[in-house]
Amino acid sequence: MIIEPHDEVFRMENVHLSYNGLVGTAFSKPRALSFFEDQEKDSNELITEASLMLKRGETICIGGPSGQGKSALLRVIAGLARPTQGRLYYFGEFLPPERLTALEVAKRQVGFVFQNGALISNLRVRDNIALPLRYHKIGNQAEIDERINMAMDLMRVRSHADLFPHMLSAGIQKRVAIARSWAMDPKLLLMDEPTAGLDNYNRRNILPLIDNMRMLFKTSIIIVTHDLLIAKELNCNICFLHNKKLTEPGSFDYWAQSNTEISRELFRDMRNSPESPSIARISG
Amino acid sequence: MSEEVKNWQKLTIVGKLFHKMGLALLKTTAGQLTALFFRAFWSLFHSESRSFKTDTRNIILQTFFTGVEIFPILFVVAALFGSVVIIEVITLTGKMGFSDVVGTLIVVVVIRELGPILTAFLIAGRSGSSLTTYVGGMVIDSEVDALASMGIDPIRYLVMPGLIGGMIATFMMTILFSATAIFCGFGLTKALILASGNIINIQLTWDYLSTELIKAISLNDFIIVIVKPVVFGAIITCNACYQALNIPRDIRQVPKATSRSVIRSFLYVVLSDVAISLFYLLDYYNELSKLI
Repeated sequence: MIIEPHDEVFRMENVHLSYNGLVGTAFSKPRALSFFEDQEKDSNELITEASLMLKRGETICIGGPSGQGKSALLRVIAGLARPTQGRLYYFGEFLPPERLTALEVAKRQVGFVFQNGALISNLRVRDNIALPLRYHKIGNQAEIDERINMAMDLMRVRSHADLFPHMLSAGIQKRVAIARSWAMDPKLLLMDEPTAGLDNYNRRNILPLIDNMRMLFKTSIIIVTHDLLIAKELNCNICFLHNKKLTEPGSFDYWAQSNTEISRELFRDMRNSPESPSIARISG
Repeated sequence: MSEEVKNWQKLTIVGKLFHKMGLALLKTTAGQLTALFFRAFWSLFHSESRSFKTDTRNIILQTFFTGVEIFPILFVVAALFGSVVIIEVITLTGKMGFSDVVGTLIVVVVIRELGPILTAFLIAGRSGSSLTTYVGGMVIDSEVDALASMGIDPIRYLVMPGLIGGMIATFMMTILFSATAIFCGFGLTKALILASGNIINIQLTWDYLSTELIKAISLNDFIIVIVKPVVFGAIITCNACYQALNIPRDIRQVPKATSRSVIRSFLYVVLSDVAISLFYLLDYYNELSKLI
């Protein structure tokens, strides 16, 4: 398959990550320090090989059991953790390691939705969504207000506009976090466990919202999740972090039917359950 | 990345020496604190997102938070401290026959040395610790990461207002502390004399005290009154934010970082006080050599 250069949203090649890259925030220490520090290649590596390519409007899920470094990989993509090795390209542009910071990545319209929402706790919902818009001076006050209202309508959180994050349930917090990211008009959205901790009702609510973003605004999305049915519902490819390596992407049905170790481990329930649509398809 | 020749490897020997010295300096806490100070200060001018209105509002809020809310306690401490100093100085110098140095002693103790230090301790204990807890909580909840992933520089959004507000507030509070210590200290001493029927046998009038103080105060004291609190304020807020931003994502580290922030602030404040006082010694030595 030939990919037009302008179609490529994100690419990473041969990314390695050690536990050292994940400790603490990167903001207290001068950047030069972490850049020039000799990073010995130790056996303490969390990820030894990860390559991925994402096209415009494409959604991809990164799955796998917990503790494999899925969220850590997402932090690398967002520039919050420094890989020990590897090259990352955003919209075809290579970001060298000395410039691979969250601020540089965010400049390239990459949004990040954290697992806990990470709303700023002393700001109301409306101000949380407005914060990046005001900081980056995107339009005048009327335009900002319009965009906030659109984002709140899209994620159906307008009725909570004047509440503080601690007054909201986990599901609504997550929706506000998505609205905040959406308001910045991201071309690539990174989502860490968008359905974790949500009940079925909220989960069913949030998935169409993600689908809307993808369909209406052609946003490319990388979702890190252990909830593999998301991939089925969003009809997107999944790749797995397995044995410290990122596998090639494949569809839900491909993984459900294949005879790999990953499939046997992670799709066991679905393969054995008689109600499972996949197994129904497998058995014809 | 590792197989490529890095830019610093192309440097000359002298260049490499400076590179290594710079890195060695940045590895120390003092180097990182200084770097954080300059990054925070620079972000005020550098960032493309500067907005006079928002910056001013944030700084005023931080000044209010750091300074004004601490005032009641600071007022009581200053008044009691001032009256103790006045009583002790006057009785001691009277006994020893050095009554002409009353003003100098009060200026040295209240305005030059202990006033700024006590104010800095109060601010480190209250505002420094709460700044560490506040920023540390944001680090734990990934809010700092969220700010960065929205393109908002956490140094600018969190550290800069704290730093500038802290400097302004410490400066204002030190002046208030010294003023309260002298005026309220005098008032309290007078009240004590009246209440006790002058049992301590002190002859104290405002004329006497003010004349002595004005005689003793010099231009250097005014400079010190500006320099010391500004340095202390910068140290306290930078250290508070530095300790907070260094927290690994573990909730148990927040109280540890808070106590570290307060204790280290005390230490750094006293160390910098000694460094600033060295200028006094230098000045005194010059005067002495002139006399000789």
